[in-house]
Amino acid sequence: MSIDFALGAEAEAFAAEVRAWLAANPPERFPIDGMDAGYGSGAHSRPFLQALAAQGWISMTWPRAFGGAERAFWTKLVLLEELALAGAPFGPLTGCDQAADAIMARGSERLARELLPRIARGDATFWQGFSEPGAGSDLLGLTTEARRDGDDWVIRGHKIWSSHAGISSYGLVIARTARGASRSDGLSMFVVDSTSPGMEIRPIVSLTGGVYHYEVFLDEVRVPGDFLLGTEHQGFRELLQSLDTDRFWGRFYKAPALRRVLDQLVRHANATSRGGAPLSRDAYVRRTLAELATDIEALRLYFYRIGWMLAEQVPTRYETALGKVFADETGQRVGAFGLELLGPHAALAPDSPWAPLGGAIQHFYLTTMGHTIAGGTSEVLRTTVATRGLELPRDGRGVARGA
Amino acid sequence: MDFRPTDQQRMLAAVARDFLDKRWPLAVAQDVARDGRGLPNDVWRELAALGWAGLRVPGDLGGSEASLLDVVLLAEEMGRAAFPARYVTSAVVATAIIAAGTSAQRQRVLPAMSAGDRFATLALAEPDGSGPDGIALTAEVGRTLDGVKRFVLDADAADHVIVAARGGGGVTLVLVDARHPGVGVSSTTTMAGDRLFEVTFAGVPVRADDVIGPAGGGRAILDEALAHGAVARAAEIVGTAQRILDLTVEHAKVRVQSGRPIGAFQAIQHACADLLRDVETARGLVYHAAWRVDAGRDAATAIAMASAYAGTRGLAVARRAHQIFGAMGYSAEHPLHLLHKRIHAASVESDRAAHLDTIARAIGLA
Repeated sequence: MSIDFALGAEAEAFAAEVRAWLAANPPERFPIDGMDAGYGSGAHSRPFLQALAAQGWISMTWPRAFGGAERAFWTKLVLLEELALAGAPFGPLTGCDQAADAIMARGSERLARELLPRIARGDATFWQGFSEPGAGSDLLGLTTEARRDGDDWVIRGHKIWSSHAGISSYGLVIARTARGASRSDGLSMFVVDSTSPGMEIRPIVSLTGGVYHYEVFLDEVRVPGDFLLGTEHQGFRELLQSLDTDRFWGRFYKAPALRRVLDQLVRHANATSRGGAPLSRDAYVRRTLAELATDIEALRLYFYRIGWMLAEQVPTRYETALGKVFADETGQRVGAFGLELLGPHAALAPDSPWAPLGGAIQHFYLTTMGHTIAGGTSEVLRTTVATRGLELPRDGRGVARGA
Repeated sequence: MDFRPTDQQRMLAAVARDFLDKRWPLAVAQDVARDGRGLPNDVWRELAALGWAGLRVPGDLGGSEASLLDVVLLAEEMGRAAFPARYVTSAVVATAIIAAGTSAQRQRVLPAMSAGDRFATLALAEPDGSGPDGIALTAEVGRTLDGVKRFVLDADAADHVIVAARGGGGVTLVLVDARHPGVGVSSTTTMAGDRLFEVTFAGVPVRADDVIGPAGGGRAILDEALAHGAVARAAEIVGTAQRILDLTVEHAKVRVQSGRPIGAFQAIQHACADLLRDVETARGLVYHAAWRVDAGRDAATAIAMASAYAGTRGLAVARRAHQIFGAMGYSAEHPLHLLHKRIHAASVESDRAAHLDTIARAIGLA
């Protein structure tokens, strides 16, 4: 026991294995079926997911009882880091991991039997049906309802901002199943087949012009009783527990992905002259890129620390919230300076013959506008850091007026 | 990967917290900073008795050859206590330089420094404020040292002055007896209470056995010592910023306005969340830099990052805390201003522009 930032020989050997595989299977050769939303997990590519599955890498850390190989926790981090550094299109992987974790932790025997092997093969992907038009940061304002009908559940409602819903196999849909004493009671989570009758999944065109989110209408959608995921009526509490670690898994690869963007900017600065002088010799350019590299390194180390906490089962209270805010705001700074560095060329549409870096920086910059909103706004998460990390009183629940 | 300090390191930090709370509470730090009397000798001797002055001294010379990470954990506690700058200057930077000297030089100086009987300071900055790249004072073996250095810490009380001079076709480090009649000091006051001096050298002989390392070949020794010092200073900043965060959160919980603690207002909560972010992310960079040094890995970029980031974020923490404390933080009585000034004092030693240039090269900028 001592402070040690080295991943260890096993993890380093695995990193080398992943790099060698990526060199033999260049990620850009895999067909893309869904937009890259800039988080660092790249575009959505089923064929790439299946190639990862063929390596056994989706289920490698699962318990043997569920078909896994029980490899060390760190191998998953190594895989995500290497994929992000390579810009690989592993968009659906995190959703698969999260769904698999939830199924292994609290799914029915049937869910485990039917879905886990398909997830391990890269055959089943997932979208989240949490937000609704009237329930964003206030998730408890949701109005989607599920009622029992014989052995089944029947869901009626309207979900929105569901990433990749139109191209994924299953939704994790939270719905009200009972009117409890408090709003957080009486909610349940369901695994809903995207092809179920009564589902209508409509694309939402994003600010980049591409489609990442979908709106999902559920009109009397029938779900088998054992596709309820977790404890009936306790879905919100269980979701809150998993959201904390989901925030980690959803942002762990942001630092390596930002490092990749930064490397693109460095190469651009080295290769580009403006007014007869190389951009890379400009003191402002050099120092700004150096500052961003420092922020990215601070981010990487912070997520390593959270990863260590998860590996050692040290409870996280505020760390993932803090890390997510830092990750997404750092990303916005990187994107904003990228546009500045590219100057007038930054505005060119990706299909313009003069667009530098294939328009990647513009695309990245625009997507970063969503990062500080999705999965917990920076405002909600700063409140989480303040109340859970610093134990400041919750808003409106301090001492009584006049006290 | 592991983020737990060893039992020994935890003990070091706990003893430091205890000692500094008793011997160097913020009220004492404020008094000493106000009256400019500097670090009392007895406090220096007591911390040496705890083994701290000798942390970086080789075992055969009375020290404990501790890791830089040990120094970092101690320096964090010193930063938390607004402890004066001398520790890092003498026990980290000067000690590292002398440890690179000859056996005779080491024997002559380090055991006494480790015991707290003597301490050393560094005469590096020129009157124009320039550091290692702008050394102008010249020193050639067999001749004399004549000229001026500025920003020399505790020069009136120091036993040894390490002078970074230009000579032998490069940088020559000269170990000067601070009490040589050719050494004159004139003091100046600073906002954080550090006792900084202009030191004048007039006819101080430069003998071959006063030169540390090869004449003209001192730059590498100097750079490594300063790099280790930069990590320790960054750790002090993290500790000071953590203290500011602790005081600020405590204040936000008890200060009631409009019927509730101000910490119940989101504007204050979000500011406090940012303070925590800055402190924790800076600490990660500092620990990482120290670990790389201790592990014998290339550490130049990590040190530049830790030093540049801690300085900027530490000052940002202090400024934001002033906003949260409101008018009270503006008063001399409140400790916030001293903690703020100490972060500034620790950060000015760090050449941020040079650090950023180091990082720029490391990320591949041509």
